[in-house]
Amino acid sequence: MVWRALSQKGCRLEGVRGVDMLSTQGLMKKFGGLTAINNVSFEIEKGELSSIIGPNGAGKTTLFNLLTGHLRPDSGRVIFNDKDITNLPPHGICQLGIGRSFQRINIFPRLKVFDNVQAAVLAGQGKCVNIFSPSKNMAREETIKVLETVELVDKRSLFAGLLSHGDQKRLEIGIALAVRPSLLLLDEPTAGMGSEETTEIAGLINRVVQYQGLTAVFVEHDMSVVFGISQKIRVMHLGEIIATGTPEEIRANAQVQRIYLGEE
Amino acid sequence: MRSKEQLKTIPVNGLPQRLVRHRWIWLVIAVGLLAAMPAFVGKSWVSLLCEILILAVAASGLNLIIGYTGMISFGPAGLYAVGAYTTALLIVGVRAPFGLAMIVGPLVAAVVSLIVGWFCVRRTAVYFALLTLAFSQLIHTVIYKWYGLTGGDDGIIDIRVPSFLSSIGSYYYFTLACTVVCLLAMWVIANSAFGKALSVIRENPGRAEFIGINVRRYQLMAFVIQGFFLGAAGSLLCGFSHSVFPPIANWTKSIDIIIACLLGGMFHFFGPFVGSAVYILLDKVVTGFTEYWSLVLGIFVILLVLFFRGGMAGFISERLSPGRREGS
Amino acid sequence: MSLQAVLMQLLSGLSSGMLIYLIAVGLSLIFGTLRVLNLAHGALYMLGAYLCFWLTSSFQQIPGMFWWAIILGPFLVALFGGLVEVVLLRRIYGWHFMYEFILTFGLILIISDLVKLLWGGGFHSIKYPWPLADTIKVAGGTFPLYNLFLVAMGLFIFFGLRALLHYTRLGKVIRGVTYNREIMNALGENVPAVYLVVFMLGCWLGGLGGALATPLVTVTLGMDMTVIIQCFIVVVIGGLGSLTGAFIGALILGLLDAFGIMVLPQLAIAFGFILMAIVLIVRPYGLMGKREYEK
Repeated sequence: MVWRALSQKGCRLEGVRGVDMLSTQGLMKKFGGLTAINNVSFEIEKGELSSIIGPNGAGKTTLFNLLTGHLRPDSGRVIFNDKDITNLPPHGICQLGIGRSFQRINIFPRLKVFDNVQAAVLAGQGKCVNIFSPSKNMAREETIKVLETVELVDKRSLFAGLLSHGDQKRLEIGIALAVRPSLLLLDEPTAGMGSEETTEIAGLINRVVQYQGLTAVFVEHDMSVVFGISQKIRVMHLGEIIATGTPEEIRANAQVQRIYLGEE
Repeated sequence: MRSKEQLKTIPVNGLPQRLVRHRWIWLVIAVGLLAAMPAFVGKSWVSLLCEILILAVAASGLNLIIGYTGMISFGPAGLYAVGAYTTALLIVGVRAPFGLAMIVGPLVAAVVSLIVGWFCVRRTAVYFALLTLAFSQLIHTVIYKWYGLTGGDDGIIDIRVPSFLSSIGSYYYFTLACTVVCLLAMWVIANSAFGKALSVIRENPGRAEFIGINVRRYQLMAFVIQGFFLGAAGSLLCGFSHSVFPPIANWTKSIDIIIACLLGGMFHFFGPFVGSAVYILLDKVVTGFTEYWSLVLGIFVILLVLFFRGGMAGFISERLSPGRREGS
Repeated sequence: MSLQAVLMQLLSGLSSGMLIYLIAVGLSLIFGTLRVLNLAHGALYMLGAYLCFWLTSSFQQIPGMFWWAIILGPFLVALFGGLVEVVLLRRIYGWHFMYEFILTFGLILIISDLVKLLWGGGFHSIKYPWPLADTIKVAGGTFPLYNLFLVAMGLFIFFGLRALLHYTRLGKVIRGVTYNREIMNALGENVPAVYLVVFMLGCWLGGLGGALATPLVTVTLGMDMTVIIQCFIVVVIGGLGSLTGAFIGALILGLLDAFGIMVLPQLAIAFGFILMAIVLIVRPYGLMGKREYEK
């Protein structure tokens, strides 16, 4: 709770590099005979905007699932802000400050857009145990703020299931933001979008990291987004991280080029 | 940035404004009408209204987990019977004061639902439903077989109520008051942040987990609250029929409560209330004409499933504000 | 508790278990392939029993009428089931399972009033059919020949279904559709027809169970209610959708009831529910069920 209060009051460790927010040590995950994650260790610094890329089946979503508690690793640890979160359930990890958007649209379809985000805001504030106060007017300002960030304010009274794909993806990100995370994990935020929307989403992610002091890691296939906004790129292949570096370094990396031969 | 006034005027629910503003007036009118009924109708109708109110409390309680949380329970009768038998035993066995017995009934039902629920919420969907059925039948078996405690098949009879409640008219007012209190409490809970969390769990439990909601704990809390209100309905039954028998714990009673809940529409707060009224009135009317009440109800139920998934309240709501689709 | 008594209870439990298997296997089959929990299965059993009783007692002059009734009754129930599938059930595949619960419950109401309409509300029974009217001497006691016949029928159906599903083309298609409906559709199989056949087969089995039960039980309204609960217990213990599981589950329930009455008569009727609850808590997909059936 303390760190969250600090970050809200603006006492951020901005610009102080070298503080590890999230680190993994020797993560392993097997499904039957298939080794999905093979001895993955990396550190994510506070304030970093990085991406994870790799061919399909490289294990990117599985890695996210291990970080957010949806899967238990066979061995290895996940440390978040000096706390071992390896075996915590997803809701516990979320309460500690990790937010996530999902690869496949994962919203609350029969609730209105406003309610989708408001619920997340309330959950993030820990107010959901409250059975006494009417929820209609709780956290309206925060909810509207989040909606403005993802540019869905005009659509707040629509049922979420009726939105266009692109708008549902925005809502997806909005829900992830609404819980006030300090670390944001985005799984293919621009999947299925046209180029204009992709640029908008990329800009959104960039803005959110810069102005709200978040740390973000996103998985992407769209290289324009990856090379456009990432400060650091990690390349995964067959369950391992085979390269880490700045966009220029990765672009020049021969091994990466080999893996992506034909893809750009 | 918007001003506070501008924020307040942003409408966030889809009902036409005129209906929302006047909502309290409708409720006052409805309660007033119900309160005035005994002056206009005969004793048997007052008795019928009493039955409707009791079923409405049970069905609305059940709706907290079916409609709001998305958990289909097959065993509301068990908890209903726990409330009824607790109250009955306290009044008849221990000569407890009526008021105390009425409060302890729902509380015991809530405790039982805590125990039963703890096991049940660890399962989902079909398995959850079947497990609630198993527990409910176990409760039925205990009530049926434990002759020493519950009198088994003989039931518990001669349940006395305080003299000022002994006429059906006065007991009706008592039941009406209790129903209003219960529904008010459920309304507050359903519209609170907790109720929001339940809706979210219904829509997408995986995602709810990852906005920080401990889904199982919330489901258990909802289950306990449901148990409390089911028990309350059972306790009201004691004073109404002055006797309780094992069949109130059987799965056929569960079906009654479930149908009442669905008939009115499980996505609307007053759906179960409407459904209870329709169910009991239909029963009364149809049995006057034919002995094949089951056939009529069966056809009704099938038509309901095929064409009116939103129930009656859903149907009416469609008519009032077209385009506002709740879906099913 | 003498050895003879134990053996008698064993036989009794086995034969009652077999009867429950014969009734419950249809429910399991329908759930396995159509993913529908048919609450009206008990009502179909009742329909089969009433048909068998009525045919047998109305046409007593025809020798061996019972055996004709065993063939005709379930067949009629299957036809009725086919009608239900085409007109009603077909519309709700893929809907939330609660709707199929309620729809099939509506069916229970309709079928039971239909029975009341056709045959009234009394109690009926028929005698053991020739040539199974006698008892045989077993382990120092006597045991009805008909019950042994039931055991034989149970085994016949068990192996018959196995043979159907594993060695005929229809069976392979059914198993394919059970496993993955979309792929079978893409392969050009007529999935709706398969669903119809499976549902009718399940109804046939339910009706057969009812017909076979007629000499043993009192045929009356309300017999569907007790039976459906037992079917639920069996398919839960054995595993929803598993036919072998239904077999094992039914035998366990039969033996549990038989020995339960000896050991703790007061609680005997609770044993089934206790076991059902334990299975659901510890291993919800039952003894032989697969995890994927958790929706």
